[in-house]
Amino acid sequence: MSKESNSIGKTLLDLPANVWRSIFRNPLPSSDRGRAATSFTNFFLHIQPVRVSRQALRPSYTMGLGLISFFLFVILTVTGLLLMFYYVPSTGMAYDRMLDLRSSVAFGVILRNMHRWAAHAMVAVVFLHMCRVFFTGSYKPPREFNWLVGVSLFLLTLLSSFTGYLLPWDQLAFWAITVGTSIAGYAPLIGKELRFMLLGDANVGQEALLRFYVLHVVVLPLVLTIAVAIHFWRIRKDGGLAKPEPTPVPALPAGEVATTEAAPALVAAAATAPARKFTIQGLVRGPLIKVGNLEEDTVFSWPTLLIAELFVLLLTVAGVMAVSFFFNAPLEQPVNVMHPPNPAKAPWYFLGLQEQVSYSAFWGGIGVPGIELLLLVLLPYIDRGKEGVGRWFARQRVLANSIFLLFVIVNIVLIIIGTFFRGANWQFVSPF
Amino acid sequence: MAAAPKTNDPADQQIPRRQFLSWLSGIGLFGSAIAGVFSTFVFLKPRATYGQPNRFSIGRPDDFPSGARMAIDAKRVCIVREGNKVAAISTTCTHLGCIVAPTETGFQCPCHGSQFDVDGNVTGGPAPKALSWYQVSLTPSGELEVDKDNEIQTGTYLSV
Repeated sequence: MSKESNSIGKTLLDLPANVWRSIFRNPLPSSDRGRAATSFTNFFLHIQPVRVSRQALRPSYTMGLGLISFFLFVILTVTGLLLMFYYVPSTGMAYDRMLDLRSSVAFGVILRNMHRWAAHAMVAVVFLHMCRVFFTGSYKPPREFNWLVGVSLFLLTLLSSFTGYLLPWDQLAFWAITVGTSIAGYAPLIGKELRFMLLGDANVGQEALLRFYVLHVVVLPLVLTIAVAIHFWRIRKDGGLAKPEPTPVPALPAGEVATTEAAPALVAAAATAPARKFTIQGLVRGPLIKVGNLEEDTVFSWPTLLIAELFVLLLTVAGVMAVSFFFNAPLEQPVNVMHPPNPAKAPWYFLGLQEQVSYSAFWGGIGVPGIELLLLVLLPYIDRGKEGVGRWFARQRVLANSIFLLFVIVNIVLIIIGTFFRGANWQFVSPF
Repeated sequence: MAAAPKTNDPADQQIPRRQFLSWLSGIGLFGSAIAGVFSTFVFLKPRATYGQPNRFSIGRPDDFPSGARMAIDAKRVCIVREGNKVAAISTTCTHLGCIVAPTETGFQCPCHGSQFDVDGNVTGGPAPKALSWYQVSLTPSGELEVDKDNEIQTGTYLSV
């Protein structure tokens, strides 16, 4: 009896520890082996490599822009999900629900502010991230496809932000979307159809609100999440963040390994090793092969990378919250279809487009942006030079960097002109 | 000797048959995918819209005295009457869809500064083409009816 109760008591006493150990297979690591196992056996941690190069951790190299984009997306998902509990996508109720957020919903104002400012920030940060990748030549082989995924993520970010812009159903939202969708109407052949399908009607109205809502809360976030997953996965498979070419090791001709299939090399290696027999358990292709050639300049992800990520997360959340405490998201008068504000302006990230459109509707709205997008997509297949990867403004890439910088500056200048120098009737005004 | 051609024949046929079937299933799957995408777009394009009808009555001809240029913002048309001639000009800017306002010289868009003359022809600003004219007809009950689905040539009036 006493033995029985003793074992029950012991079972109960050990219960918390047993449950804990069933969830987390490893105790907090104290050795390198433990650090590797911790990264490897945890679902959330195994997305990251066990070891990460010091270069990828240097704040001056990445500036954490990709990670900030991701955390902003997380903030947007959480705040957006909460806002959905109170929002109704109806022209009659949407604006009232905006007012309710102010007056009768706990934390309504701060949630809406966070959602709005994080959305604006995400557009900016994703763009800056793209600039970082360009200026460090990080889109070069084998990372061409991930650049494409990145470009689509940029477009998805713009679309998400744009579709969300309509939902408050105030004057700003209504006319920004009216102007924005009219730009789509200028696309040759399909423009009119595209606009009609996007709005579900000839003009911005209830159908457009419903469509934009569905796109904003379901379709785009879903596609965006999948694209983010592919983006992250490809970073791992493409050998981590881009870094400068290591000094060549004579034993392993790096160029040959990189260009030829991995399988023959492995088979040949197995054949020439008479003493021991190897069987191939799995095949890791490309830059991940590390046979007796471990990169020296790496550190364990646990805890170095995790602490860095946590730091960026806290910084991002703190930044968004700070801005949201001091600045309220704009909410203008409810929609009045009769009276467009003068000037009617698109969201700021489309004001460069709107400025171009004011010169030529087709070329400004479709022609030039289309060519720019095509260049972005084709970039890693046009620029095949292998030099200057993994460094900011490498001298070998001065031409590519200059061209890209020119595009960036022109677009920023257009946005600044559209934002600050255009007044009533889109006349040139001085903000000073 | 006699067996040799027999074993050869099915072997010769087997590859084309297998290939044929894989081609067929490939086309079937690919075709279904395309048909699926296409039908999704068909579904998404509304057959009936819930907004304002594009054909509507605007009242009796007597409501518009000669020389009137009356903008009906809700319907986005401007009714013009000169003598006994009536016409309906669109007040949706051809640039980006804002509502243009009638002025002494024609129309002015508040959004991007497009200017139009009294007939809706572009006189300045970014608008790429003239304001549309819509067909106006007299219903049996004696009311004027505008059909925004029916664009007519600039300067075509209805005599009342």
